[in-house]
Parts: sequence; structure tokens; C-alpha cells
Amino acid sequence: MNIRSGFRGIACVARKEFLHIWRDKRIMVLILVLPPFFTFLFGHAFETNTPQGVPAILQDRDQSAASKRFVSGIAADQSFAWSFPSATPPCDENLVRQNVQAILVIPQGWENGMRNGRPMPLQLVVDGSDTTTAVALEGIIKQDLGDFQSATLDHLLKEPPPDMAQAGASLPVSVREEFTSAITPWAVNSRILYNPHRRFIDYVMPGVIGLILQMLTVTLTACTITRERETGTLYQLMVTSLRRWEIVIGKVLPYLAVSLVLIALTVAVAGLHFGVRFQRPLVLALICLLFLMSSLGMGLLISSFSETQTQAIQFAVFYLLPVLPLSGAFAPLGQLPANIRPVSNLFSLTHFCHAFRLINLNGAPFSYIVNDLLLLALGVVLTCGGAALLLRRTQQ
Amino acid sequence: MSEPYIVLDGLRKEYGRTVALDGLSMSILRGRIFGFLGANGAGKTTCIRLLCGLTRPTAGRAWIGGRDVWHDRLQVRLQFGYVAQKFSLYPDLSVLENLRFFGGACRLAPGDITKRADTLLDLMGLCAKRDAVASSLSGGMKQLLAMACALVHNPPLLFLDEPTSGLDPMNRQQIWNLLYDLANSGTTIFVTTHYMDEADRCTEVGFLHKGRLLAKESPKNLKGMFREPLLELEVDPVMPALACLRRETGVLDAVLRGGRVRLYSEHSADLLAGWRRHWPYPDLHWTGHRWADADMEDVFLACSHGHDQLLTRTPP
Repeated sequence: MNIRSGFRGIACVARKEFLHIWRDKRIMVLILVLPPFFTFLFGHAFETNTPQGVPAILQDRDQSAASKRFVSGIAADQSFAWSFPSATPPCDENLVRQNVQAILVIPQGWENGMRNGRPMPLQLVVDGSDTTTAVALEGIIKQDLGDFQSATLDHLLKEPPPDMAQAGASLPVSVREEFTSAITPWAVNSRILYNPHRRFIDYVMPGVIGLILQMLTVTLTACTITRERETGTLYQLMVTSLRRWEIVIGKVLPYLAVSLVLIALTVAVAGLHFGVRFQRPLVLALICLLFLMSSLGMGLLISSFSETQTQAIQFAVFYLLPVLPLSGAFAPLGQLPANIRPVSNLFSLTHFCHAFRLINLNGAPFSYIVNDLLLLALGVVLTCGGAALLLRRTQQ
Repeated sequence: MSEPYIVLDGLRKEYGRTVALDGLSMSILRGRIFGFLGANGAGKTTCIRLLCGLTRPTAGRAWIGGRDVWHDRLQVRLQFGYVAQKFSLYPDLSVLENLRFFGGACRLAPGDITKRADTLLDLMGLCAKRDAVASSLSGGMKQLLAMACALVHNPPLLFLDEPTSGLDPMNRQQIWNLLYDLANSGTTIFVTTHYMDEADRCTEVGFLHKGRLLAKESPKNLKGMFREPLLELEVDPVMPALACLRRETGVLDAVLRGGRVRLYSEHSADLLAGWRRHWPYPDLHWTGHRWADADMEDVFLACSHGHDQLLTRTPP
């Protein structure tokens, strides 16, 4: 059998698979509507990584000029949706009962404490069950308090009391300079590269696109061979002269074409709606192509050893479940413990996100992503080859 | 003299400790309709799987058209069509699309597929249904479509696994007429069936039992293997009579045929003489008897149950 007959075999399987997809209107809707919708939905969900509008209580028990100044400053922070109870009685600290995630209390005598050299701490109660938000809220409050303190200090330095000015003038120059250095906020002259506006959406979009595509491609292809096995057509397919690799390639091709349309749709939503810019589209297309093929291969591999479609979907879910937290799609891999990190290398989404970000965000040269591309290609070979081998076992 | 088209030589298949096929040797001539009979689990499906090159024989070899069914399986598969018992085509594809797919899978050029599809649709009487999705066809039409798909590459051999199972007599007749036409034009037909009247229509029948070939003859010769005609009794009521006669000494088995009790015994004449002298069942009213020629079902039962004493020639 020559190459031409091989192409003919692949073409007839691919045409048949495409007809299956085309005829199933529910799947067509699923394919064409859900990916852009999910990109829109997930994109907004991950648009920012700082807390927004967290319900919180701020009780000003001091009711002083300073406390009112601090409250007016912190009230402008969009991180919280403050409610302001009266100064008395003391606020109930039960967060669940109050239906808030934080309570900040300015104690009575706060301003006096600042004046008489015994500053009183603010009382902050934070919901620690949500570890991410708790840490962020504590940081925001400390930042706001720091800003308030800096403003107070600036005011003090610009318009010092006469006694202080006189005392300062009597000090030696070196002491004055040392004192000035100590009270001046020490700055870091930082430059933010690659994502200067620190838009989280730019970082997370490869993860969003990759996850949506992987979920759809793996689950769709996971059912292809099992469906044939359930309906008995696999046996009929096996007694034809089609070779196993022709069947595997013929089954992958239509889904690959459909997936490319999906990528175009999701990228359009990411670009037009979220303003994500895509650099070096040809390299990104290569990354996407290898990633899609490895995902389709994984679906086919699952399909080739599953006995029923239900089993195939369950296997697909079991595969996709660890991908979500371990692939670095939504959070940097550096956050994972060192002994877990090697596991993430097993997932194609990890290499997709890594390579995509290196090219799109970091503007890295092609050589930086060669390892990721090779691993994705290895995934294609292993999954598609495995599916073909398992089809042989089916024959036996 | 026709030459053998299918040759099996000591074909054996083991699944673990289970011997599914135990050294099967036989040959089938070109243009014959070979009926493969056997109880469930006898090894018929294993034999077809081996011949289709879907599984590797543990021992022995088989050839179709001179090619080894395992080593040359891809070429061998171009030489046969296969019709499964269960409808195994694509229900969401149209009649024509199914034909086109299997034509492509058999490496036919697109132009050849179109011509062949037209011929087959005409032959099967499915022209009016060419654009109908396969799932909308009746049971008989589905089976005709399955045959059309199996014949799309005009193979010299056709495997059919219980092709008329669940079909009405009209459809069965239509399918058998097609098989006769195919055999007449030189196509070899290899058919498994549980219907004894269908086995009777084959030019040659093989009986498989526990993986071994018990007999392979023409239906006429197989029926002629019985030593003597079978005794049938007319007894009323018939069901209690069947139960009593099955327990009778010297009776190997008894079955109902046309309201009569047919006895399998090598001493039927002696039994009849004894009952004429004394009928031992006062509650059963014996009204008459007759001698019947054995049919295919009798041969099947005798072979399957090991009643070799009823036969003139013992199975190999």
C-alpha cells in the first residue's frame, strides 16, 4: 500500500469523524459557543488578583480629627466595601454573624496616643479561613496606615513646631543629616519589565485559553473510539484494511481543525474584549498546534483503553482535575512546593503556559521555548502512539 | 474442479487456560456457501476473528486466497467483506455516506466508490433511501445496507455472522436470494447461523463443538449420517409425555416437533415394540406414531450432545 492509499484511508476516517461532529448539533453549539463565552467569563474572573469590594466594618471609636482623616483616606480604597457603625457600643467581633471578612477598630484615645508618644495599635480582625484574602487585606490595611503615617510625617516636617525647629537648628549638621535620612521614606527605584502595567489578565490569559481548549478537546476525543466500541462499529472498522495509525490520525484531524477555530474564537475575545496583545503570532501558533495535538492525543489515548463513554469521561475528568492547580495556568509554579513541582511537568498545559508567556510576555528568543516544544511533541508521539498500540490490543 | 479458497491447518487459539479453538483444519472451496454451526461458546466467533486477522493464532495457520491471514492481514482484509450480527454501521451517517466511508476504508478511488455505490443500492433496493440516515432504516434495510457496505469493494469472500437474526421471513428470503446470486457469481460465503433451516440452504455445513470441528459435509450427507429414521409418537397430553419419555430407559433425548414427541434412541424399534405390548403410562393417551427423517436440527443436537451412537459415522 502506497502513500496515496494511506492518505485515502486517513481522509475517509477524517471525513466520517467530521460528519459525526457536524451532525451532532448539541456538540456544535458546545464547541462554538462555550469557548468564547468561558474566555469572557474566566477573563473577567481573573482580570485582577487584588481583593475588590470585600465586606468589612470600620468602627471609629476615637472620633478624633486624625481618626476621621484616616477613615476618609481608607474609605476611598476599592478593596473594601466598608460599613461604619457608631462609635459605641464595642463592635461584635464575630465575622460570620456580622457577614463581613474584616473588622477594623480605631481605639478610643488613638490620636492622643500619637501625640503623647504612646501610639496605640489599630485593632484588625480578619477572616483567616480564606488565606489569600486574609493576607491581602492585612497588607492593604498596613499599607493604608503607612501612607497615613507618611502623610502625617510630611506635614510635621513641612510645618514643624517652633520648638522643634529651634532644637533642630542647634544640632550638628551630621546629626541633622542622619536624622533626615532616617525619617525620609527609603525608596526602591524599580522598573517593571514585560508587563509594566501589571495586568493580571495578560499573565493569566494563556492559562484561560489553554484550560478551556484542553477541557474541550480531551473530553470530545475521549469518546470517539469508545463510542465506536459501544456501537460495535470499532469491530467493523478493524476488519477493513485501515491501519491503526490511519485511524488515529483520521480521528485527530477533524478535531484539530475544530480546535483551531476554537483558538481563533478565544484569541479574538482575549484580544478584542480584554485588550490582550499577542506577539509573534507564528511562534504562538506553533505552541498552540503542538499543545492541541497533545491534548487530542490524550483524549484518544483515554478513549482507546476505556470500555464505555461514561468511563472515558470519568478518566478525562481524573486527568483534568490535577491540571487545574498544578499546571501554573492561574498561579506561578513557584508557589508550588519543590517536591510537587516535577509533577507539573507531566501536564502539557504547564509547557503551553510557560512557552506562551515566555514568547508573549517576556519576548524571549525561540531557543528559550525549545524544551517546552520538544516535550509537547513528545506528548503528541506518546499519546497518539499509545492510542494506536492500544487499538492493537483491542484487535487482539 | 474448484480450488480451496479458505484453508485452515491446525488452527488453535487459547485465551489463558481456555482453549477457544482446538486445532481446526478444513478447507472451503471457492463459490461455496459454507454454514458454520455450533452452540454459543463453541468457537465460531474466535474462528472468524482469526480468519479476519483480528487475533493471532496460538498455533496453526490459515490462508485466504493463498495469503496468510495473520502475516498478510491487511491484504487479506481487502479480499473479504464482513457483516456483523448486530447493526454495526454509523447510525448518524446516511446510507450513501456509510457506503462511501467503507469504500474509502477499502482503498477505492472516489469515482469507483460512486459507481459501486449506485450498483449496490440498486441491487439491495435502497436507491430511494440513499440520503436517509442509517438509524431511520428498518431492521431488514439495515442488514441490506450492512451487506452493501461489506460488498462495496467487490470482495471474493463474504463473512456473515448470523445475518438474518431478528429479521422477518421476507427479509430473510431476500438476503438468502442475494447470497445465492453472489455464490453463483463466484463469491465464497462463510456464514454462521443458529437457524437450522438456513443451515439447510448452505452447500456445506461445519459443526463446531467446544472448539473442535465435529463434522463438515453437505446438509444432505449430514442428515444421512443418522443410522435410522427417528421415531415420533402422538401422545395426549403431550407435555407430560415429553417429560416421561425423556426419562425412559434407552432414550437419549426427546423433543417436540409438530405436536409430536421425537425420540433420539438407538433402540427405537425395540422401544416401539415394547410399548405396543404394554404402554406404561395409563394417564397418557398414545394415539399413533410415525418414522421421520432426521433434519439439520437433529444433526445439530446429536453432534452437540455427543450422541455419536445415533450416527453411522462418528465425528472426527
